[in-house]
Amino acid sequence: MEYSIRAASVEDCKDIRRLIGELAEYEKVADEVTITQRDLERDGFSENPFFHCIIAEVPEQHKTKEGHTKIGYATYFYNYNTWCGRAIYMGDLYVMSEFRGKGIGRALMSKVAQLGRAAGCRQLNFTVMDWNKSARDFYLRQGCVDITANTGKHFMRCEGEALEHLAQP
Amino acid sequence: MKFKIRPATKEDCKEISRMIMELAVYEKMPDQVKITHEDLERDGFCQNPFFECLVAEVPEEHKSTEGFTVVGYGLYFYNYSTWEGRTVYLEDLYVMPEFRGNGIGKGLLSKVAQVGKKKRCVRLNLSVLDWNTPSRDFYAAKGARDLTDSEGWHFIRFDGQNLDNLANEAPED
Repeated sequence: MEYSIRAASVEDCKDIRRLIGELAEYEKVADEVTITQRDLERDGFSENPFFHCIIAEVPEQHKTKEGHTKIGYATYFYNYNTWCGRAIYMGDLYVMSEFRGKGIGRALMSKVAQLGRAAGCRQLNFTVMDWNKSARDFYLRQGCVDITANTGKHFMRCEGEALEHLAQP
Repeated sequence: MKFKIRPATKEDCKEISRMIMELAVYEKMPDQVKITHEDLERDGFCQNPFFECLVAEVPEEHKSTEGFTVVGYGLYFYNYSTWEGRTVYLEDLYVMPEFRGNGIGKGLLSKVAQVGKKKRCVRLNLSVLDWNTPSRDFYAAKGARDLTDSEGWHFIRFDGQNLDNLANEAPED
């Protein structure tokens, strides 16, 4: 199936928000999504954006039942590793279920890797849930390393009241 | 002990580089450090910086045995959750051993949280090695949740030849 991958523009934010909702459904946390289309427009398309996004698009003849041609996306941002420097972090990777199995997910991830390399990044990092066996297998097939399994690196989060309390001067 | 926490300047990069190495020694991986203070100067102080950094400084009369007054740092950057929005990620937090126990680590962590709050970040994320009990306890005491333990989050990485292979497969623009 023909498809193209391109940088997202501010006009894509409505579709990106739709796809985010679908990914959250898949990860069983749809009711945790509070972000809006406007947040995405402001945070992704300002002078110093908080994230970047690429979109996978199919031609009109392959559009979904509801008429969508934007059928996958990946978000990424630049991080820093104090041992090896610039790194790229992939936040989300999602392809609508009816378009899976055609290499689109892999193409999105490759594009993020290419963009990272062009920006001088030496690592592409992301997280996956240990219960998400199909995603984990997909990533391991691409040659990546599970840093948590290998080094015992644990991901920690401070939010809500705990973050408020921490931010007290 | 008196100390001050302030944003790092380009001139602090030599000190930050020194402390990065000290932290790597503590994490038992000193041979993994490939970047120099020049990389930090370029990447932290350009138009779209890859990171921001705070340093902890003590007055002259409390300088370290080797004569350093910059005795700790917190290096962080902004990430994004497509569920909740802006987040801040604390990549490194370090205080020289002889200055620990004086609230400097907590001061740096709080300051990063404050900076994040000003930018309307809804999360402060970080990672810690599972054997590093003092650090795990420190963060847990501040209300951090271990998402690897509770929800099965795993860090995944592509680097070296695997990253090149992946990048080479990307479709044409």
